[in-house]
This record gives sequence, C-alpha cells and structure tokens, in this order.
Amino acid sequence: MARTVVDPLTRIEGHLRVEVEVENGKVTDAWVSGTLWRGMELVLQDRHPEDAFWVSQRICGVCPISHSHASAQSTEQALGITIPNNARIIRNIIEGAQYLHSHILWFYTLTALDYVNPLNALKANIADTYALAEAAGTRVADFGAVQKRLAAFAENGQLSIFTGHYFDHPGYVLPPELDLIATAHYLEALEMQAVAAEIIAIMSGKFPHPMTSIPGGTAFVPTEQKLDDILFRLLAVKNFVDTALIPDTLAIAPFLLGAASFGGGCGNFLSWGVFEAADNDPYKRSLPRGFIESAKGLTVDKVGPEDVTEYVAHSWYDDKTTGLTPDKGKTEAKYEEYSVDGKYTWGKAARCKDLPAEVGPLSRMLVGYLSGVKPVVEIIDVALAALSKAAGATLPPTVLVSLLGRIAARNLETAVVAQWTVEWVNELIGAIKGGDSDYFVTARGSDGEGAGLWEAPRGSVGHWMSVKGGKIANYQVVAPTTWDIAPRDDKGVLGPMEQALVGTPVFDTERPLEILQVAHSFDP
Amino acid sequence: MAQEAHGALHDLLEVRGVTRRDFLKYCGSVAAMLGLSETMAPQIAAALEGAQKLLPALWINGGSCTGCTESIAQVDSPDVATIVLDYLSFEYFETIMATAGTQAEHNITKRVEEGGYIVIYEGSVMTGFEGRAQTAGTPDKTGLAILEEVASNALAVIAVGSCAVDGGWVKAHPNPAGATGVAAWLQKQNIKTPVVNLPTCPVNPEWIVAMVVQLLLVADRDVDKFVAATKWVTREYADEVTDASVSLLMPAGIYGQSIHDNCPRRGHFENGEFVDVLGSEQEAMGYCLYKVGCKGPQTFTQCPVTRWNRRVSWCVEAGSPCIGCGGLNWVDNNAPFLMRMSDMQLGGALGNVQPGTVGAVVGGVAAAALVAHGLGMKAAGRVGDGPPMETAKAYDRKRGAKKGGDK
Repeated sequence: MARTVVDPLTRIEGHLRVEVEVENGKVTDAWVSGTLWRGMELVLQDRHPEDAFWVSQRICGVCPISHSHASAQSTEQALGITIPNNARIIRNIIEGAQYLHSHILWFYTLTALDYVNPLNALKANIADTYALAEAAGTRVADFGAVQKRLAAFAENGQLSIFTGHYFDHPGYVLPPELDLIATAHYLEALEMQAVAAEIIAIMSGKFPHPMTSIPGGTAFVPTEQKLDDILFRLLAVKNFVDTALIPDTLAIAPFLLGAASFGGGCGNFLSWGVFEAADNDPYKRSLPRGFIESAKGLTVDKVGPEDVTEYVAHSWYDDKTTGLTPDKGKTEAKYEEYSVDGKYTWGKAARCKDLPAEVGPLSRMLVGYLSGVKPVVEIIDVALAALSKAAGATLPPTVLVSLLGRIAARNLETAVVAQWTVEWVNELIGAIKGGDSDYFVTARGSDGEGAGLWEAPRGSVGHWMSVKGGKIANYQVVAPTTWDIAPRDDKGVLGPMEQALVGTPVFDTERPLEILQVAHSFDP
Repeated sequence: MAQEAHGALHDLLEVRGVTRRDFLKYCGSVAAMLGLSETMAPQIAAALEGAQKLLPALWINGGSCTGCTESIAQVDSPDVATIVLDYLSFEYFETIMATAGTQAEHNITKRVEEGGYIVIYEGSVMTGFEGRAQTAGTPDKTGLAILEEVASNALAVIAVGSCAVDGGWVKAHPNPAGATGVAAWLQKQNIKTPVVNLPTCPVNPEWIVAMVVQLLLVADRDVDKFVAATKWVTREYADEVTDASVSLLMPAGIYGQSIHDNCPRRGHFENGEFVDVLGSEQEAMGYCLYKVGCKGPQTFTQCPVTRWNRRVSWCVEAGSPCIGCGGLNWVDNNAPFLMRMSDMQLGGALGNVQPGTVGAVVGGVAAAALVAHGLGMKAAGRVGDGPPMETAKAYDRKRGAKKGGDK
C-alpha cells in the first residue's frame, strides 16, 4: 500500500492536487483537492448586478464565455429581462465558438501528451505516415517538415515543455507514425483553437474575457463583413474537426480499449442544458437539460436549481454553512491544515438530489442521446459501431461510462456543435435579412432572484444572484469543476473524480501517467 | 544544420510563406511597442534571425484563472509553437507541460540552481490564510514560497496580467485573499530582480512577445541593457497588503497613452455623437461609448493599436465600453462599469494625479476627461444626458472616503 501525491496536477485550469492510495497496482482510495482560493462570490457582493457579467467570468480563463452567459442569465431572471432573439442567437454562436476552441485545445494541448509521444514520432517512416493518414481518413500535413522541426528541437537538447516527461512509460502505446500524425495535428490545433477564439473576439472584443453579452442582450451589432469573417473562420475550424479531430479519435481509440474498463466514476450525470431555444425552454435547448441517476439505469429525469446542495465537511469553509442550496449559500472560509481525514480542499462538495454528479460532455451527450437529440444519437451510434468493430464485440452505450467514453464524448460533441454553430450563423443572417434589428433591451426591474443554469465546455455552471435595492445581496457560483472535483460530502461519499480514480491501474507511482489520464478526461 | 545560414526563424517563416516584407513589418510593430523608432526594425530582424539557444523560462501561475496562459496561446507573431519550440525553453509551465507533480517541481529547483532564466508570472500573489490561499507541490508549498524561490535568481520577472501587477480583480473588496502584485511582494522580501509589469485582464500576448524579444534578442539577455534600451513609464500606488508604496515599471510604448487617445471612435466623441443604448442604431454607426461608461479616457494601454486575438478586434470595436482592466485596482476603481465615473484615476502620461484632486477641481468626469485631453470646456455641453453618474462608490463608502465629483 502506498500513498502517492500528484501536486501540481498539470495541464488543467487552476491548481489541483490529487492524492491516491495504491494497492496491488490499483488505486483504492482518492482525495482531490482544489488548492486555490478565489473569493469571487464575496467580491460581487453589493455591486451592480450588470457588473457580475464582467467580473464573474474571471473565475475561469478557459471558459469565461459560459460563466458570463450564466451570470447574464441570472441577472436577466432577477430583473425580469427577456433578451431579443438576435442576442440569443449571437450568444449561441459565441458559446459554440468557445466549445470548439476549448475542446480542440483540451484534446491536443492538454490531454494528448498522456497518449501521444512526440519524441517517438522521430522514429516514424514518412511514407508509412502518409499511408496511415490516408487509411485513417485523417488530415494530411507536411509530416516530413514536422519531423525535421522536432528533430532540430530534440537535437538542441532543450526540451522546453517536455522537460521531465514520462514518455518512456509503457502506457505510451501508439506506433511512431500515429504519434507523428498526432504531433502534426497538435501543432495545427494550436492554430485552429486560436482561429475559433478569433470568432469570439470578432463578436465580443477579445478572448479570453469577452465583453458584449451584457445583461439585456448583446452590445455587438453584426455587419455583413463581420458575419463573413465569422463564417469563414467557422468553416475552417469545422473542417479541422471533421478531418482531424474525429478521425484522430477513431484512429487512436483501438489502442486504448483498456481505458473502456476503468475511470467511469459515480454514474450520475447532470446537464443544465446549453444553446438556448427560441422559447427559452431548457429541455428544448440543443443539448437539453436532464439528470441521469446511476441507480435508475439509463433514464433521464427533470432537474432544477432546487436540487442542488453544497456540503463543506471536508472543505475549508465554516461547518455551519453545510448543506445549503446555492440561493441561500454562503462563502465563509475557514482554513485548517490539509488533512484527508478532515478538510482538504477549497472546493465545496456539490450534490444533485443529494448525489455526486459528473458534469461535462459525457453527461450532455448521454442526456442528449437518451432524450433523442438526432445528431447526438447518430454520432454516438457511429462511434459505438467503430469501437465495437475494434473490440470484436457489440458494445452497449454504457461502455461510454469510462475513461475512453469520456474522451470520445468530448470529441464527438465538438463535431455536433461545429455543425450547429454554422447553422446559427445562417439563422442570424436570415433574421437580419428579415428585418430584425433588436439586440438589447434597457427596461429592467430593480429587485429579484435569478439562477443562470448553463453548460460550459467542461460542464454544468450555475450562477445564483439575489438583488435588493439595485445591488447584489448574495451571489453564489457552482462551477463545472466544483461538481467534478468535489470532495467527500458530509456522509463521506466520494466526489465524481475521486470515484473515477478508484480502480484505476497505476503502473509506476513515480510516474503516475494513468492518474493524469483520468483527471484530464474531466478537463478540470 | 541548414538553419545556420539564415537563422531558424528565417527558415520557419519561409516554410510558412511569410515574406521578408511581412517580417520586417512585424519587426517594426515590435519596435513601436518597445518605444523605439521603427527604423530599428532591421536591427530587430537581425537579432531575431540570429537566435541560437533557447532562453530558459519558468511560467508560474499564482492566483490565476489561466486566462493569461490562454491569451499567449492566441499569439501569431510569432505563434505559440514557435515560442515554445524555438525561442523559450519553458521548463515549468503548469498548463502545457508534459510532466506533473514531483518531477515538475524538480524542474524548478534545477533551473533556479543553474540560473540564466526569466520568470513569467501570471495571477495574483495570494497572501491570505497565511499564504495557504494558494499552494502547489509537496509538502504544501505556498505560492509565496514558489515566487520567492523563482524570482530570487531570475534575470527578470515579467508580471503578466493585472492580477500579477497589483492583485487585479482578486484584490477587490472584501476578498480575504490578501491579493497583491509581484512587484509589491518582491519589494517586501527585498528581492531586487527587475519586474516588468504588463497589466490588462488578460494580458495582451503581443506585449509579452515584445518584452521577450527585447530582452532575449535586442539586449542579448543582458538585463541592464534591456532596462536601458526600453522606454518606461512608472506608476506608483499604495499597496494595502504590504503597506508600502510601490513603483511599477511599464513599457512606455504600450502604457504611455490612453485608450481614448488612440480610439478609432474618438472622432465621434469630438462630434458629440454618442451611444446612449448598447447594441442600438447608434452602435451600428460606431458612435462613442463614453456615455455608457467607457473607461477609455482613464485607461492607459495600447489596446486600440495592438488590438486583440491576432488583431481581429478589440472591446470597443465589438460594441462594449472599455472597463479599464488595464488600470490599477481596476474592479474597485472602475465598477459600476456602465456608469460614467464620478472620480477618475489618471496616471501614465499625465503623471500621478490623484482622483480626488481631479474630481474636486473640475467637478465630474466629463469635464475631467475633456480637460485632460485638451479639448476645453466648450465641448462639455455636447456630452449632455445619458446613463447617470454613479453616486458614490461602494469601495469608497466602505472606507469612509469622500471623493470629489459625485452628483
């Protein structure tokens, strides 16, 4: 039995510490700790409700769009604002572009290095690489040039971001040619995530930290030229998703079939729903709202803000504030020494219907699949067929509740969102042509309560706001990662990532590659 | 290797179809950001092309949202792959490095011992809860200890983003984070390593590149030469956490003029053409956002010139008033963002004029902005009605301070 600590757990947003107990080569217990205090909820007290849009998004530099949208919705609910239809479409486009940006960045820049060994790509035969790319139906690059560049880099002896890597770990199983393809796409992905971010910048000033989805609608008035600039970039990104991200996923998956048997976790899945429908019904959002409870099998229940509670027995907050719903939530810090038996994280234990709940693309895709969202059903069925073929057995949808499934779900969602985002741009063009020129409403009340429940690329995000006398009286955020990296609750039930880590094989505790793989699959 | 003939960069650019002319144009824009004459472009080009060995760098995240890391991933001149593979050897960079845990920490220890590196620091310096507001590593190392360790032997520290400069939004009242900036904390610890400050939230990546180019190539890694070869502005502020006066060094080419000075909508300001309602017909006409709270007149950054995300747009162009994220203590000083300010923070090119003084003398931001920019009072009448002035700032009320200019 051995204790292993991974701190800092790198290639994530923020600061994360993972402590695990390993017995006979498997994780038997896990503690996940958020090691950074933010204090955002306190900063927002007593400010103007609109200001929360700009300030609260700074919780996360990777998904500020989603936080800003959840915040704007909470303000709009509290003050009785219904935003114009054009603003709804524009927010969907900005959100869609962020999904494309974030998922591409996650797969190639954050998690790929857990599977792809760029130094092994030096051994690739260039002709074989082209043959493999053609067979896999994936995008061709100047593989020779990439290999030359890598060689020059390796020869220099300064490994930069690869310094201290684990690439000699036996968990790296891809053939050199596939490593070279993935490395070429790693470099191309750096370009494509930036192109996706340009779409956001055109519509919202800059990324990260966008400016225009101000409570009331949007401050962005599109021109023909701007729409053209957006569509041109969007099609380039969509092309990359269809010709690199998806085929790469399908090419790599057969080498990782073992990852279908661990890393699943709690089996409860929450989605608040994302991409607003014309009638603002969260169950009609493109990716709808729903909750899947492990004990009930694969069925979707309705879910609302009243189902959320946050526990703090193991978090650095005052015990008196445990078990509150976010509308009455409190942020009262109480730091004690780190102790896995006592308090060990700045994250609260968020629970849905009193259960730990996984959030993110796997949740959304499962809720969408079970709710019969057509493009979701189609792409999951295609992926399951491909996996079944590789495994030589018919795999049911439950196989997705695993490390492999979580990776696949994120990439499949990217393709679905890319298609939709193109459709929303066309919808906006149609609305403008039809004479709709409303983007912002100014009329608003002064008091009220709101819960903006939305989905960031990495999962469910909720902003709860109460406004009194025109000022924010209380503000609470349950961020995506709050759900996934939740610690034990007051009853001692492990959080989703903690549960996913239990049962994970660990080959070498000095180079805990598999722990990184499971943690990264949540995109924390 | 073939790269020795023209340098690695030249080869790379050639492969990517970047012409010599484009490259020199880029070098010219770097020169402008450094406060140098554009005639320096050929020298910058020569320095860029002559680079051989990568400069070791440690990118440290303090109390950050990772937004500044996101931001550097958006740069294309040169792009991030070139920075990581061909310019800087990032031996520690939490968000993108291959390794983790103990091995990652070892990378820091080893580099600090060997020296000859720069630190890029993102996020606030978190002093709250006795430094436990942010920890990383085993056993439970505080962010403060990490900053002190890496800064002590660095050639220079570049504090990127408003959080690293003075604590950013994290220091806003009443957060118990105890957030402060890199310069303030190193001054308190008596660590003399030069700190270059690049505020805005997040940092504009092109400004980081300009500083790196200057240090690495123009000044040949010589910090004294680097400081001497760059034009600077300094900004003083009273740091609450360290209870000391702090002087921040910022490149003048980037932070010497206000957003208002360089705003493409400035003409509409002078014509008295304003946006009264966001996203309206007036916005479609590209009118001035001053009446809906734009903080351009009091914010000293190059945003309208450098622009954002590979220069595709910037906040005001997209229709939002500037929220002054490049100012000091920007959330407390600038919120509420949609209201015109009853007190202004003026600095930079104007020297350090206290907000209270300005407000008391000219009575309100409209006049302050106009006087400050030499337009004279006659234009003030054009500003007319619009969203109301804020009455008094919550930040000031809580401190019992009375600032001038309130209506």
